[in-house]
Amino acid sequence: MNLLVLYLLLLKASVTSFSGLGSLPMVRNDFVVERHLLTDHQLNMAVVAGRTGPGPFGLYLVCVAYAVGGIPGAFMGFLALITPAFLVIPLMRWIGARADIPRVRSAIRGLLLASAGLLVSSSVPLTMDAFTGLFSAILMAASFGVLTFTRIDSAWLMLGAAGAGLAASLFR
Amino acid sequence: MNPQSSPSVKKLTEIFFRVGNTTFGGGYVTIGMLGRELVDTRRWISSEKFDLAFALARVTPGTNLIAFCAAIGALICGVAGAIGAVLALTAPSSALAVLIAYGFERWQGNRVAMAAIGGTVAAVAGMMWATIWVILKPHVGRMTMRGMTRNLQVVLITGGAFVASRIFEFTPLPIILVGTLIGFLWKDAKDS
Repeated sequence: MNLLVLYLLLLKASVTSFSGLGSLPMVRNDFVVERHLLTDHQLNMAVVAGRTGPGPFGLYLVCVAYAVGGIPGAFMGFLALITPAFLVIPLMRWIGARADIPRVRSAIRGLLLASAGLLVSSSVPLTMDAFTGLFSAILMAASFGVLTFTRIDSAWLMLGAAGAGLAASLFR
Repeated sequence: MNPQSSPSVKKLTEIFFRVGNTTFGGGYVTIGMLGRELVDTRRWISSEKFDLAFALARVTPGTNLIAFCAAIGALICGVAGAIGAVLALTAPSSALAVLIAYGFERWQGNRVAMAAIGGTVAAVAGMMWATIWVILKPHVGRMTMRGMTRNLQVVLITGGAFVASRIFEFTPLPIILVGTLIGFLWKDAKDS
């Protein structure tokens, strides 16, 4: 795949999202549904790789780009990941004075809610891909519960899930 | 502030490198660690400016944490500080993420490794739903009249976006634009 196109596709996903995993619907649409460059399973693996190490959750974009275009692709993914961040500098000057305007706050909320709906939409097939039986369902529910109701670091959760997967395979 | 503790691009980059690449758990944890270091310990930035950077990073497109680092870097050391902070936070962890992805590829045929990865894939699916809840939770109202109006807005915009994407297969961009427009037109009482 052309590296510039890869960069622009990832930049589009990054620019139209407002959180690390918020770009997932756009990425899935462009890379899995439209262009068939990745499967849902490969996308899942990219998300896992991005979440396993330290750093922001959006790192999965670099792993998606690596899966599509190797090391040069990963570099494009990295650029697409960091480019939108610099918009905050003019934004600090421009919107800083307008952040309290009710209509602006309200529009931002509408945007966040729509993003959440899209995230639900892309989480459904990824969840179905990750579901392999009762054991995986228990792990999913436990992961949701731990992150929602406790302050346990997600790194421990990943480690625990890997250990549980390993233990389960030994007893099969 | 004594000269030894005065900020420089080099020192700032070192801090972002250290905190950003040793902190697991995503944006909020890293932001908390940076606040402790830059506001409480070194006093390079006031808590008011720190809060402004946090708020604006949330409305900046892309990953909030990276925008936050750019904002803090810019406030402390200008554009060079923003570039240094962003690169120090993201470059090493990106390289590590690629290494992990490479490892996953190599281990595809290894039954033991795939069992461990299978566990983490399931955990990540749970994490996605937790992320959705984190986004929605601040917008869910109480069981009052005003709260119910807010909840109706949550259901209509979030549910509408889901249906538009999942059932009618609209692409994300128009859905996001329509959601923003509805939010702009449907001003909540809390925002007045």
